Amino acid sequence: MNNSLLVLIASSAIVYGTPLLYAALGELLAERSGVLNLGVEGMMLVGAAMGFFVVQRLAGPGPLALGAAIVVAALAGAAIASIHAFLVITLRASQIVSGLAITIFAGAAGLSSYLANDLNLAESPARHVFGPILPQSLQDLPVVGPLIFAQTALVYASWVLTAAVAFYLARTRPGLELRAVGEAPGAADAVGINVTAYRYAHTLVGGALAGVGGACFSLSITPQWLDGLTGGAGWIAIALVIFAFWPADLCLVGAYVFGAFSALPFILQARGVTVAPELFQALPYLMTVVVLVAVSTGAVKRHLGAPASLGQPYVREER
Amino acid sequence: MNDPRSVTAVPAVTLRGVTKRFPGVVANADVDLEIHAGEVHALLGENGAGKSTLSNIVTGLYRPDEGSLELHGEPVDLRSPRDALQRGVGMVHQHFRLVEPFTVAENIALGDQRDRRLVPDRAALERKVAALADQFGLSVDPRARIWQLSVGEQQRVEILKALYRDARILILDEPTAVLTPQEARALFETLRAMAADGRTIVFISHKLHEVLAVSDRITVLRGGRVVATVATASATPEGLASLMVGREVETGRRQERTNPLTNVVLKAYNLCAEGDRGLPALNGVSLEVRGGEIVGVAGVAGNGQRELAEALTGMRGLTAGQVSVSGVQLRAGDPRDAIARGLAHVPEDRLGTGVAPSLSIASNTVLKAYRDPEISAGPFLRRNRIMRRASELIARYSVSAPGPETRARDLSGGNLQKVVIGREFAGAPSALVVASPTRGLDVGAIENVHELLRAAAARGVAVLMISEDLDEILALADRVLVMYEGTIVGERDGEGADVDELGMLMAGGAPR
Amino acid sequence: MRIERRSSTPRWLQVAVPVGSVAVAFVVSAVVLLATGHNPLHAYRRLFEAAFTDPGALSSTLTAATPLCFTGLAAAVAFRVGLFNIGAEGQLYMGAIAAAGVALALAGQGVVLQIGAMIVAGAVAGAAWALIPGFLRAFANTNEIITSLMLNYVAALFLNYLIFDTLSYWRDTSSPGAEQFPQGKPLPDAASWPTFGLGTSLVIPFGLLVAVVLACAVSVLYGRTRFGFEAAVIGDSPRAARYAGMRTRRNILLVMGLSGLLAGIGGASQDGDFRHLLDPRGLAQPGYGYTGIVVAALARYNPFAVLLVAILIGGLSNAGYALQGADFPSGLVGVMQGIILFCALGGELLVRYRVRLGRSGAVEAAPAA
Repeated sequence: MNNSLLVLIASSAIVYGTPLLYAALGELLAERSGVLNLGVEGMMLVGAAMGFFVVQRLAGPGPLALGAAIVVAALAGAAIASIHAFLVITLRASQIVSGLAITIFAGAAGLSSYLANDLNLAESPARHVFGPILPQSLQDLPVVGPLIFAQTALVYASWVLTAAVAFYLARTRPGLELRAVGEAPGAADAVGINVTAYRYAHTLVGGALAGVGGACFSLSITPQWLDGLTGGAGWIAIALVIFAFWPADLCLVGAYVFGAFSALPFILQARGVTVAPELFQALPYLMTVVVLVAVSTGAVKRHLGAPASLGQPYVREER
Repeated sequence: MNDPRSVTAVPAVTLRGVTKRFPGVVANADVDLEIHAGEVHALLGENGAGKSTLSNIVTGLYRPDEGSLELHGEPVDLRSPRDALQRGVGMVHQHFRLVEPFTVAENIALGDQRDRRLVPDRAALERKVAALADQFGLSVDPRARIWQLSVGEQQRVEILKALYRDARILILDEPTAVLTPQEARALFETLRAMAADGRTIVFISHKLHEVLAVSDRITVLRGGRVVATVATASATPEGLASLMVGREVETGRRQERTNPLTNVVLKAYNLCAEGDRGLPALNGVSLEVRGGEIVGVAGVAGNGQRELAEALTGMRGLTAGQVSVSGVQLRAGDPRDAIARGLAHVPEDRLGTGVAPSLSIASNTVLKAYRDPEISAGPFLRRNRIMRRASELIARYSVSAPGPETRARDLSGGNLQKVVIGREFAGAPSALVVASPTRGLDVGAIENVHELLRAAAARGVAVLMISEDLDEILALADRVLVMYEGTIVGERDGEGADVDELGMLMAGGAPR
Repeated sequence: MRIERRSSTPRWLQVAVPVGSVAVAFVVSAVVLLATGHNPLHAYRRLFEAAFTDPGALSSTLTAATPLCFTGLAAAVAFRVGLFNIGAEGQLYMGAIAAAGVALALAGQGVVLQIGAMIVAGAVAGAAWALIPGFLRAFANTNEIITSLMLNYVAALFLNYLIFDTLSYWRDTSSPGAEQFPQGKPLPDAASWPTFGLGTSLVIPFGLLVAVVLACAVSVLYGRTRFGFEAAVIGDSPRAARYAGMRTRRNILLVMGLSGLLAGIGGASQDGDFRHLLDPRGLAQPGYGYTGIVVAALARYNPFAVLLVAILIGGLSNAGYALQGADFPSGLVGVMQGIILFCALGGELLVRYRVRLGRSGAVEAAPAA
C-alpha cells in the first residue's frame, strides 16, 4: 500500500515541495514588509552551494556537519539579500530590476557557479545527506508512514516554521507592526515604527530562508552539485506567495501541490510510463501561470491580497 | 473659552527662528511662535502658507533646517514621530495615517511604546479603546475595520490615537475638510472640552469662520512667515483675510449670472456604478445641466462624488443608467467617447490623473488632442505644432513655468491646474465636469480658477462642479445638488441657500 | 544623509552614471577576485584581450553582441513603459524554432526569400510567445513578470523536446550517428546569413546590421509617433492614460508584441548568422534573454545606447567564455554583470535624487521650477 502511486506522489510532493515552502515563507515575510524580492533563485543557489561546501569540508559527525551547513546556507542567503535590501531600501532602487540583478549575479551563471568552481563542489557527491530521522517501524506504517514519519529533519522544521510564521503574523505585536509597515508605511512611521528596520530585517530573513531552501536541494534532493540545480524553484516560490494570497498556511498547501507536479515526471518514469519528460516538467510552470491568472481575475480585493506598499520605496520627506 | 490671560507660565510649544526648505521652495522662514498650555490656538493661512510643514516639524516628521523647538519649556530635538509621541505631542493628519485592513483597536494601539508584550491581549485592548471613546464622546466600534468606516468616523480614530497615548498637545490639520457643518460643530465642542481639561490644541485651517468659532488665539501665516498673532475675541473676518493674503480680498462673493441658459447639454439618468471594492457607490443619480449654468454637487467626501465624476466621463463603467451630451448617449466606460462628444473633465487628482507627471507641459497639452489631424500627420506627431500649442496655452493662462519642456510634476498646484483647465478648454467643450477644482490652492490661484469657470459658463458651457468645499459651491453655483450615499438627496437654488439645511442634507438628514 | 527628489536631471549625469557604474563595478569585482585568490589585473587584461584585441576577438565579440542587441532592444522597449517582459529568453527560442523550421521548409529557394522568411518567422513566433503574457496582463491583469518568466522554462523544454526526445522535423536523422547523438538538422546553405568583412579580420554579421536598423526604427517609433506617445503616457501614469481615452489594453499588446518580435528575430539571427541549425544547448547556455535585461538597464532603455552596451557586455561574455578553464574563474561573467547592474541601480539614486549630508548648512538654492 505504501508503494501505491498516490502515496508515492504525496510523499514526493512533500519532499519536492519543501524547498519551495522555505523560499515561499521567506518571500512572504519580505513581501509583507513591502519589499518584493525577485532574487530568490539566486539566493537559493548560493545557499545550496555554501551548504554543500560545509558538508564536504567540515570534519565531524554527520548531524553536526548538516546543522552547520544549514546555518551557513542561511547566512549566505541573507548576505545576498543584504545587497538587495541596501539597494532598494536605502538607495531606493527599482525593486524589480534589483531582484533580477541578484538573480544574474548569484544565479547559475554567476556567483553560485563561481563558488562551485573555486571550491570544487562538483568533484564528489555530498558526504552527508539529510535522511529520515524517525525509526523504521514508524516509517512502515500504512500511509502515514511514508507521508509523515519518513521525512527528513528539514521537512519537520518546515512544518514548525509554517506554524510559527502564521502565528507571528496573526497574533503577535511585531507581526502586526510588520503588516502595518507593508500596508501603510506612512501610518507606521507616524506612530514611531521603524519602517527601515522592519524592511531590512524581513528581507534578510527572506534571504536566509531562501538559502535554506536551496540547501534542501544540495543536501537532500539531489545530493550532488550541479549548476542551476534549483531549476527555477525560486521563481515558483514567488508565484506561490501570490497564489497563496499571502497567508502562511496556504503557502504550505501550495508548495506541496507544486511539489507534486515537479515529482510526477520522475515517478511516472520509474513506473515505465513513457511520455516525454518535458511535458511533465513543464507542468509546474504552466500551472503557475494558470493559477496566477485565476487569482488575478478573481475578486482579490486589497485587504485580501498584496500589501499595499509592495514594490514602493518609502521616503518620509517626499512631498 | 479659556481666558488668554490666565495661562500657565510655561508655554506648551515654543518655536524660535524655525526655517525649513524643500527643493525650490522655502516652506517656513524664521518662524517665532508661542502656544500656551490649555488654549485652542489656530494656525491660519492659505494653502501653501506653511502651516502643515510647521506642524510636521512639531510632530517630528520633519526636522527644521534652522531654529529651535521647545516643548513645555524644554528644548527638544525631534528625530522621528516616535520622539514627538513620547513627549506627548499627537497629530490628527489631514490625510489620515491609518492602516485600512486593520481594526480600530489595532490602529489605535499600533506602535504603542508602553505595551511591548509579544502577544497582545486583544479583548483587553478593545475594552480600553471603548472606554476611551466613551470618555471623550467619540463613539466608534473598536472591532470595525477602517475601510468600513465613514470618513468622519476615521477621523475620530485618528483623534483617539493621540488621546490613547495621553497626548497633552494635540494638533489637527484641516480637520473639518471631511465633515458636515454639524459634525464640525460637534468637533469644536470636543476640542474645547479637551482644552478645558488642560490639553493644548493647535487647530490648522484656511477657513476663517471656523477659526473664529473655535480658537482662543490665532496666528496668521503667509508665505512661510508669521504675519501676526491675535486674540480671537478682537479679530474680524476681513482683518484676518487681508492678513492671510496681504491685500484686500473679496472671498467668495457671489456674482450675478447674466447670460441666459440654453438647452440641457449634460444629462445623467439613473446612474448606478460600483466603487473600487465592488460595493455600490452610485445608487441612481440623475441630473441635468444646461448650457451656461454652473451646477454644484455638494457633499461630504466619500459619498460617491469621485465615482460620479468618473461615471459621467467614462472612466468608470455603469451598472445601470446612461449619460448623454447634447442629446447623444455616451458609451459607458469609454472615456474616448465622452471626449469625442465634447465632454471635458478636470479631475480631482490633478497630478495623478489629470497629467502624465513626468512628461512635459507640451506633452500634457496634447494628452487628449494628439489624435487630431492638426497635431499628428498619420502616425507621426507634429512636434512644432505641439510646442506652439503649449506656448500659446502658457501665455494665455499665465502659467508660471520656464517653458513648454518643463515637467508637469515640477509645477505648483495652481499652475498645474491652469494647464489642465487650459487643455480642457482648448477642445471647445460643450460640457465640463470639474471635481475639487481648488483643493490645495492658494487664494490667488483659487480666484483664477473660479474666474475661468465663470467665464466658461458665460460662453455657454454646461459646468458641473463637484466639490467638498461648501463655500466654493455657494460662491459659484446657480443650483446646488446634495449628494449622500450615492444619490442626490436634495436640490436648492444657489442664491440664498441655507447652509444649515445643506449641512443636514449632507449628513443624510431629512430634507425639508 | 538626506534625500531630496531632483526637479530635473542634468544631461551629463545621465551619461556619467552608467559609465561610472561600470568603473565602480570593475573595482568591486577586483575586490571579489582578490578575496578569492585571483589576480584582478591579470584577469582583466586577459578579458580585454579576449574581448577585443586577440586575433578574431573583435569578430567574436560582435558575434556575442548581436543577440544581446536584439534582447536588449526587446527589454528596453518594454521596460521603459513599465512592462517587465522577462520572457525574451523564451521568445528568442521560439523565434529560433520558427526560423529554422521555415528555412528547412523552403530548402531550395533563393537567399533573399530564405532570409526574409526566417526574419518574418522569427518575428511572428517571438511576438506570439510574448503576446501570451501580454494578453494575460491586458485582459486578466496578471503580472507579466511571472508569466513571461514561466514561459521561458516552457519554451526551453519545448526546444529540448524537439531535438532530444523526438524525431521531429528539426532533428537530424541523416546518419546512424545522428540517432545516438541528437542534433539539429543543418539548414540549407541559402539560409546562411551573409557577413560583411571590414579590413583584414573584422567580420560583421548581417544580424547586427538588422539590429541597427531596428534600433533606428524603435527610436523613431518611441520618439515621434502616436504609438510612442501613448506608450510614454501609459508607462508614466496608467490612470492619466485612461483619463485621456487611450486604449491601454491595445497598447500593452502592441508593446509586448514588439518586444517579443525583437527577441524572436534575435533567435532567427542565431540560426542564420551563427549556428546554422537548431541548437538547444547552444541557445540556452548563454542566457541571452536575461543578459539583455542587464544591457537595457545599463543603457537606460535608449535604443542606440543598447547597441553600444551590447558590444561591451558581449565582449565581456565572449571573453569569459573563451577563457573558461582551469585557471579562469567560471561564473565571473555573471558576477561582473550583476555588479555592474548593482552599481547602475545605485547610481540611479544620484540621477533621481539629490543626496545631502548633514542636517543643516549652506543649502544652495535649487533651480527655479
